[in-house]
Amino acid sequence: MTDRAPTPAERDDALAAELSLRVLPAEDEVAARARAEAEPDFARRVEAWDERFAGLADEIPPQAPPAAGWSRIDAATAPHATTTTAAPLAANDDAPRVRFWRRWAVGSTGLLAASLAAVAVLAVRPEPQAPAVTPTPVAAVTRVATLTLEDGSVAMTLVYDPVSGELYLAPTDEMKGDARVPHLWLLLPEGGARLVGAIDGSNTSRRTLDQALTGVAGRAPQVAVSMEAPGHTPAMDAPDGPVVASGTLQQL
Amino acid sequence: MSASLTRDELAEALGRAGAGDRVAFRRVYEATSAKLMGVCLRILHDRQLAEDVLQDTYVTVWRKADSFDASRASPITWLVTIARNRAIDRLRSGGALRRAAPVEAALDLADDAPPADVLVEQADEARRLTGCLSELDARTARAIRTAFFEGVTYEVLAEREKAPLGTMKSWIRRGLLRLRTCLEQ
Repeated sequence: MTDRAPTPAERDDALAAELSLRVLPAEDEVAARARAEAEPDFARRVEAWDERFAGLADEIPPQAPPAAGWSRIDAATAPHATTTTAAPLAANDDAPRVRFWRRWAVGSTGLLAASLAAVAVLAVRPEPQAPAVTPTPVAAVTRVATLTLEDGSVAMTLVYDPVSGELYLAPTDEMKGDARVPHLWLLLPEGGARLVGAIDGSNTSRRTLDQALTGVAGRAPQVAVSMEAPGHTPAMDAPDGPVVASGTLQQL
Repeated sequence: MSASLTRDELAEALGRAGAGDRVAFRRVYEATSAKLMGVCLRILHDRQLAEDVLQDTYVTVWRKADSFDASRASPITWLVTIARNRAIDRLRSGGALRRAAPVEAALDLADDAPPADVLVEQADEARRLTGCLSELDARTARAIRTAFFEGVTYEVLAEREKAPLGTMKSWIRRGLLRLRTCLEQ
């Protein structure tokens, strides 16, 4: 076989294979994954490679799962674990909030109990003043969200300018003093989430999203905040700590 | 051992789980948890971590099952892909500490060769993949296998093969395209 330059389709296919195999460095992987989310054709290529590599998984011998495996998963996914009001479990017609908790609060290895405890801690903390966050709108601001805790109190206001990719965050005092580090997440319209990164939970801050995130930020229906252990960075697609606040992104 | 299901039965159980059927979800777990545990353990080399990621994997399966499309993906591939990706995420979020263990790395390389007994038992598709991999030059095939089984990036592969990063990338990219051509024949 001769080594001519690869065609664009071949380059796409090689990238899809690299994403499936997971050999890319972190930044390239984030960009490739964002592409898979935005381009169904590219996503198909990745899936095709998942299928091709599946043959290798055949070589991996099965191992006994933990004895308590099912009961732990059962507990972590049971309807009563995802909502305190025992709402009937129907995948497609939960209230958005319940669906949010089903996806998130229990989404990682954390149990909802931990999440609720965290919310309770935040909620009982005296609220010194009404959340007074009126972010000064900057030019071309089009998306805003108010993130609230489970009890409805406002934790943060977020403003996102899709033109410049600039994100403005104005936390209230709700997260102040928490030893854990708040991390911001964009929830994807198709389910799942994308990590934006650690944020300042005490003071207003600005940041400019990199290219891989701007596309996601422009179409994410919701945003959320998880609390992570200091020094820990969760995976790009799921928090490890409890999700304490969330909000819907709205167009201005 | 697990109750084994045919591909169609597994696809159906997964589809029902996606609609909120917990009995079906349990069937999926019972039929596949030993396989996925094997995958997690293969990547993580630590039983505690692997158990943790296994749980994480099924929680993800439960919340994503409604997006499983039997016309596009094989159910076991879909599940294995989630488990492998979650295990790799955990490996990488855990930092470089575990990865740096040199003795284990050396063992892993030897480990990634296809065991003879497995070759005999492999399904046709898997045998074709193994056959096509063996047509690549040995170094490239070894690197692709290591990437799959260890969940390591180009950078680590280059270190292990003592090759420049750019060289490793072009070996693998070229190898992947050849692999595809071979599989499509």
